[in-house]
Amino acid sequence: MLSRRHFLAAAAATTIPAPSWAEAGAPAFLAAAKRPDGTYALCGLTGDGAIAFRVPLQERGHAAAAHPARPVAVAFARRPGRFGLVLDCLTGAVTHRLEPPADRHFYGHGAYLDDGRILVTTENAFETGAGRLGLWDAAQGYRRIGDMPSGGIGPHEVIRLPGTETLAVANGGIRTHPDSDREKLNLDTMRPNLSYVRDGAVVESVELPPDLRPASIRHIAARGDGLLAMALQWEGDPARIVPLLATHRRGAAPRTHAADDAAQAVLQGYAGSIAISGDGTEIAVTGPRGGVAHVYPADGTGPPRIVHRPDICGAAPAGGGLAFTDGLGGVLHPGGATRHDVAWDNHLVAIGSA
Amino acid sequence: MRRFLSAALLAAGFAGPAAADIDAALDRHILPRIDALAGSTAALAAADCDPEQLRPAFADAAEAWAGVAHLTLGPAEAEGRARAILFWPDDRDATGRGLRLLAEQGPAAWTPEAVARASVAARGLGALERLIWEDGAEPCALTLALADDLAATAGAIRDEWRGGFADLMRDPGGPGNTRFLAPDEVNRALFTALLAGLERIADQDLGRPLGTFERPRPRQASLYRSEMSLPMIRTALASLRELAATLAEAPRTEAALDRALDAADALDDPALAGVTDPMGRFRVEALQSTVRDARAVAAEEIGAALDVGTGFNSADGD
Repeated sequence: MLSRRHFLAAAAATTIPAPSWAEAGAPAFLAAAKRPDGTYALCGLTGDGAIAFRVPLQERGHAAAAHPARPVAVAFARRPGRFGLVLDCLTGAVTHRLEPPADRHFYGHGAYLDDGRILVTTENAFETGAGRLGLWDAAQGYRRIGDMPSGGIGPHEVIRLPGTETLAVANGGIRTHPDSDREKLNLDTMRPNLSYVRDGAVVESVELPPDLRPASIRHIAARGDGLLAMALQWEGDPARIVPLLATHRRGAAPRTHAADDAAQAVLQGYAGSIAISGDGTEIAVTGPRGGVAHVYPADGTGPPRIVHRPDICGAAPAGGGLAFTDGLGGVLHPGGATRHDVAWDNHLVAIGSA
Repeated sequence: MRRFLSAALLAAGFAGPAAADIDAALDRHILPRIDALAGSTAALAAADCDPEQLRPAFADAAEAWAGVAHLTLGPAEAEGRARAILFWPDDRDATGRGLRLLAEQGPAAWTPEAVARASVAARGLGALERLIWEDGAEPCALTLALADDLAATAGAIRDEWRGGFADLMRDPGGPGNTRFLAPDEVNRALFTALLAGLERIADQDLGRPLGTFERPRPRQASLYRSEMSLPMIRTALASLRELAATLAEAPRTEAALDRALDAADALDDPALAGVTDPMGRFRVEALQSTVRDARAVAAEEIGAALDVGTGFNSADGD
């Protein structure tokens, strides 16, 4: 016999179609923004750069996770974040407020698993420094249902590998504690890694070569065939010009990619976001400090083409190509460019890309 | 209503952010100086292989470069051209090593085409300076090939400025112009060039030879063999003053840059060799601090006039 709750859920599923992203203006992307009056918002953007919806946020957001089917987004506070907000993108309502356990804070990224039934969040168990992945049951009011190891210190971005239930985690390697805000506590000994997590267990971890240990692996993107791309942030000698893009395939050693020294120096050791084009042929890393994105051929055959936009940071697949957002409000997309009267924050998140 | 409001604000003395005069910046600053770079490097390439002829032509080309080195946006940045014109700083003597390699390769490598494929460190003003000042411009074929290559790079920069990039700056938001989507982006690009140019003079051009008190590094001065280090700094300051004047009404910035120019004029140490003795060092440091002052004044005064702040993401990422 069906319980009352299950009966109601089954009845709802058959009689009332769940809303989809189409009803939220068919956005292709999510991006957090600062508005001219100093307030913050999470916006949905269409494929040609128009604003599909705008949901106010009480604080500056970092990244968002888009539900794969329903018009629901989880907006994360900037680290050391104490909350994540589940937003109904049709009404703008905050439907749930996620709070990590008392000895944890969020790092600002999350991803959905299992067709949107589970939300995964990157977390810092700050008393021990262990990186954890928090698990939340999206189907049951975002109840916390457990956690699992991230495979390293400072897990920043987590993504689901397209077509699988395997997660990839960028363990940035930097230990912080909320008592000292964003101060980095272990730069001398940091050892970032990229970890793959499946069914609660770390199934593979890879590090960059030892001379690149001060390169924090922060943001990642994946292609359908398993190619994984990492954007790096250099914490070592500022005079050194280092690669800020690495790629990896399961079971192989990672490869690094850099432009010539002059072009690479423009990035000032800092890559803000990473994306793989919709057709899989290009990998973009953005360099807001240099006002450029470097767009590499994904097959590793040559130097990057350079896209210029001041304060460019957000990057996401768009159609077969790429889209970028910047702090001046610009949205570059395969069909052209538009500008809004906002400052786009660090990340541009594609909806339904994986 | 809005119109009324702005009139009222203006009457009350609150001018809104002023738009920089982009045409003035292009026609009175950028394009003439880009032309001068192309012209002076072409003259250097046309000189006979005689150090007496080459030296003044080299000095003109080096000063012309100093006058545009802050214009890293656009054509000079593309294809590593700025580095191919002046490979500096060069901590590991890559220019010396690259030149030795070219010399060893023999005459087949001493053509403009072969040189263009050589290490960027072995090209441009730095390589030419060594050949002209240290080797009597020998081998001649190599000297002339390097001069031709330099002129070709400068010519490519000019062609791109005149053949499209200047138009992108004049027509922000125009069809297909994804580089500049609105006029304020052009202002910002020029403002950034101004500040970065001043920063480079203070931190690199002056900061590198200054080193530390215990360890001054006169051989880190840019183009010290030809004693162009200080003349280039002076030209760069004058050029940045010219740019500042086109961006905004900026009397305090201009006065601060005049003080920096006065300090440069008073220095009388073309290769900045004086960084090794306390008195000479003091005067180079004094010049450095006037340049830093000018940067701070420009950031405040012109930044406010153009209403450009620092980037949202570049200043505070994660």
